[in-house]
Amino acid sequence: MTTDEFGDRRDIPGMIDAWDRVTGAVPFTINQEIPGMLHAKLVRSLSAHARIAAIRVDRARRVPGVVTVLTGAQLAARRDISPYFGPFLRDQPILAENKVRFVGEPVVAVAAETIESAEEAANLVEVEYEDLPAVFDPVAAFEEGSPILHEEPPKMSSLFVDVTMRNRVGTNVANVYSIRKGDIEKGFAEADHIFEDVFSSPAVQHVPLETHVCVASVARGSITVWASTQTPHVVRAQLAEIFGLPLSSVRVIVSTLGGGYGAKTYPKIEPVTAVLALVAQRPVRLHLTREEEFVTVTKHAATVRMKTGLRRDGTITARQSTAYFNTGAYADVGPRVIVWGGFGQGGPYRIPNLFVDTYSMYTNTPPAGAFRGFGINQTAWAHEVHIDMIAERLGMDPLELRMKNVLEEGEAFATGDPVENWHSKELLQSVAENIGWTYPVAPHRNGSRIRAKGLSVSASRAIPLAVSTAAVKMNIDGSVNVLSSSVEMGQGIQTALALLAAEALTVAPSQVHVSEVDTDVTPYDQQSSASRGTYSMGAAVQAAADEVKGQLLQLASEELEVSPADLEVVAGHVRVKGSPDRCLSFSEIVRKSRSGNLMGQGRYRAGGALDPDTGLSLGPGPGHWHQAAGAAEVEVDIETGHVDVLRFNAAVFAGRVINRVQAELQTEGNVAFGVSQALFEEMVFDHGQLQNTNLGDYMISSIKDMPQQLNVTLLEYPERSEIHGVGETALPSIMPAIANAIYNATGVRVTDLPVTPEKVLRGLRLNGNGAS
Amino acid sequence: MFHRFRVVRPDSVGEAVALLREHGDGAKVVAGSTAMTIMLRQGLLTPTILVSIAGLEALRTIRLRNDALEIGALATHRDVELSAVVRENAPLLSEAFAKVANVRVRNAATVGGVLAEADYASDPPAALLALDAEILVEGSTRRSVPIAEFFVGFYETVLEPHEIITGVRVPLTAHRGYAYEKFVTRSSEDRPCIAVAALVEVDAHGDCVDARIAVGGATETPLRLPEVEATLRDRPIDLAAAAVIGQAYADAAKPLSDMRGSSWYRREMITVWARRSLVVAAAMAVSRGGRQ
Ligand SMILES: Cc1cc2nc3c(=O)[nH]c(=O)nc-3n(C[C@H](O)[C@H](O)[C@H](O)COP(=O)(O)OP(=O)(O)OC[C@H]3O[C@@H](n4cnc5c(N)ncnc54)[C@H](O)[C@@H]3O)c2cc1C
Repeated sequence: MTTDEFGDRRDIPGMIDAWDRVTGAVPFTINQEIPGMLHAKLVRSLSAHARIAAIRVDRARRVPGVVTVLTGAQLAARRDISPYFGPFLRDQPILAENKVRFVGEPVVAVAAETIESAEEAANLVEVEYEDLPAVFDPVAAFEEGSPILHEEPPKMSSLFVDVTMRNRVGTNVANVYSIRKGDIEKGFAEADHIFEDVFSSPAVQHVPLETHVCVASVARGSITVWASTQTPHVVRAQLAEIFGLPLSSVRVIVSTLGGGYGAKTYPKIEPVTAVLALVAQRPVRLHLTREEEFVTVTKHAATVRMKTGLRRDGTITARQSTAYFNTGAYADVGPRVIVWGGFGQGGPYRIPNLFVDTYSMYTNTPPAGAFRGFGINQTAWAHEVHIDMIAERLGMDPLELRMKNVLEEGEAFATGDPVENWHSKELLQSVAENIGWTYPVAPHRNGSRIRAKGLSVSASRAIPLAVSTAAVKMNIDGSVNVLSSSVEMGQGIQTALALLAAEALTVAPSQVHVSEVDTDVTPYDQQSSASRGTYSMGAAVQAAADEVKGQLLQLASEELEVSPADLEVVAGHVRVKGSPDRCLSFSEIVRKSRSGNLMGQGRYRAGGALDPDTGLSLGPGPGHWHQAAGAAEVEVDIETGHVDVLRFNAAVFAGRVINRVQAELQTEGNVAFGVSQALFEEMVFDHGQLQNTNLGDYMISSIKDMPQQLNVTLLEYPERSEIHGVGETALPSIMPAIANAIYNATGVRVTDLPVTPEKVLRGLRLNGNGAS
Repeated sequence: MFHRFRVVRPDSVGEAVALLREHGDGAKVVAGSTAMTIMLRQGLLTPTILVSIAGLEALRTIRLRNDALEIGALATHRDVELSAVVRENAPLLSEAFAKVANVRVRNAATVGGVLAEADYASDPPAALLALDAEILVEGSTRRSVPIAEFFVGFYETVLEPHEIITGVRVPLTAHRGYAYEKFVTRSSEDRPCIAVAALVEVDAHGDCVDARIAVGGATETPLRLPEVEATLRDRPIDLAAAAVIGQAYADAAKPLSDMRGSSWYRREMITVWARRSLVVAAAMAVSRGGRQ
């Protein structure tokens, strides 16, 4: 195929940067180089919890080419820096100060002329540790007498208004979120059956192809960083806090990311790179190895104890549930993750009496942060396996039990606010039909292989109180620039925004260019995460485009001497209704009016604040509900416990689809993540020391592990023209659907992820099956 | 993290051996570098000089000679997988090499490399063990080591530090039934949790003339039990007979524990996969007609 066959390449359905991606022309931050740039290497803690007795850096300093060797004590002594960061609690030192709290924590930073010199110097740094008792499990960390990670109260960060901090100083509790809805005692009193089960899921990795990378330059009282971040404005704000600068003096530039999945939200390596640049007075580059990436951020390991009361007919009357989310040594976004992990324990169900406590727990493990599915993975894993277990105990069809209890339009979510545009029933029905669900489950046996199916349904609440702003410029030739701080990371946000702007302005998508992020130029956006880009930034871009359209009508009305009400916008022109020949192109309007260019701005603000005491919504919800259902068919070899996922049906509510190719691919990507987490993935620690630190020892699914048949259903209600994010919507439903199918095939119930062949075989043996 | 080292490219095996002798512990030989790069990155090896034999094309040949298949040490896994001579004369090897990792790795990884690395979780060694291969080695002298004596432990072989593998000699066998079963517990690109190579030859009645079973991936070094194999002779290999063999291998093995499976699990898998491979190989031997 030649380029000509594509005609105008930017009109390819799919991604506007597809050509550049295929030809390797996308500029990534790892390619960023600036003259005089130094290379950084971090010395990392070998101890999980220890007092730093001594650090010796003399030999490191003498390595030729070394410019700066920096310790936490040196940073603490500086007056021009406040050396802690974190989006909610500023509890994370840029470099460990008096003690270390996990294996892999940065202790000393080296900047040198070459990466080889930096590595050599880092190897020569000697750190003496005096070990302290450590704690690794979030439930153990909650117990009285547990070692305490943070004795001093951390400084709070005032970046976000959506989460109330209830950290307990002097304990390992970084935050608590509770729901008190209805009357829990009464709810259990009304129940004929009460079931209680415990579920757990391990820490896993995001595995973006591109590990964290940052280039920082500090000059003339301002800082510029090129960062692989999903949250440029948060990074800017936190650097401003660290350096005591106005926001306007910190510039964050973000190119296309080589994947994010939540790993690149909130500051990670930007603070240490920037302070090195300050101290060295030279630009500095830091790029993590995969081994370092593994100890930089993880998904929260979590343990959920869930107790549900039901009437004889299967109606849920009450649920009491407690979850411990392991946020690692530093809180990162853990205090917010538990809010999702909190209402996530209600799932998509109607539960009149709900009593939830969710704890964000410090332990001596690498920090856990945002992960695709954000707190819902861990809790859907619990409630969707739990509901299948309940169905079996009640002798009910698990589909029917779900259908009976899922919310319907207008009913109250776990947070009390009414759900809108809610379609759990339809989604469930659709996957059940697609997979050919029958009850009683009819496992199909062929030799040692047994096939069966499993279902699940999940939901999440959109991020509340978040703000997106955008600007749209129309140039003198009628072409359009969109200025936005949405980060392109393969999800296709640039394509989606281009399509939305083009649609609003009636121009061809090829006439629209969407900017990359530069906080000096692109307007504020809270973050590129939470599946919010297309609906939130999309709404801001549409509003900005509408403003430009208003200006076009106004200017054309002056030029044509016609009231704006008598004008219409058609295909890049403004024309007089009823007389199509009285018409001006956009270009003519901008030119004739001598406007230079037209500029519009737009804003989207989500609602949905929660009451800190009851955990319930204070008003209308955030407007969007992420809804999914999944159905799996698996084949289990009962002599080995090995599982093949034969078929998967993933259904998500999409509202209005902006780009079908991308929306489907997002959902397929979720299935890839889900199969991998259901069957393979787990970070294995031994006393806080990670045992599988690379992609040979820590395996993710390969293309051959994907279901042979993968169906994606995008449930659409285009007439409501509401866009729903699909970036992570499907993921939480995938792991339980697979595990439920495995149970239906084998009778083996695994409640701790991942469901490995060995766990399945052990279960078969315990049940007296699977003997060879 | 990379340690600093120099790469030299000798023109002959003799020169390579001389370099290894000259530099002693500081020198390491490298071929496809799929394993070496990882060891260097992890700081497990800190050579000052890498002796790359990758350019010695003469060691890449695969040919038939004197009733044996000779495979040069630098033949890649992909070369072996696709070789018509191998497919014709030792199809078990084509199977085993084809099941290694993915095509990117197979295009770089060499026969000498996988043997010298002696990682227990590898595929080719069990197949070569079932075929009674000999490892051709060049150092101060040339010698040939039966594969059963080549691996001595966890990542350990009989190779002297200055010795280089130049190839393997695979005697031709008459066995018409073969199977190579690789079992993974994680991604399908994983190394084996366990793998079993089986060869079976039957007579005109379908009775076993000779059977060989080698288990890889489960124990420190690949496992073959000739005295257990011998019990199969002169009778048909049915499911029950195969199951007995599977159990005997499982009983004799001292399986390892790692993230691919515990020792308990591996023992269970030996029972299953030794039986299954044997059944597949026996069925193939019978269907192809026995020895007259
Ligand atoms: C991602 C990945 C997946 C893998 N999956 C599998 C799998 O599924 N199954 C499997 O069996 N293997 C697997 N492997 C292992 C792979 O097959 C070996 O790494 C490879 O065979 C080694 O060959 P090489 O030529 O690259 O060796 P090198 O990396 O060059 O060398 C490896 C070792 O052998 C020594 N050496 C190399 N050649 C010689 C020689 N001629 N004489 C003496 N010493 C020598 C070197 O000094 C070094 O110690 C995998 C490897 C990777 C990276």
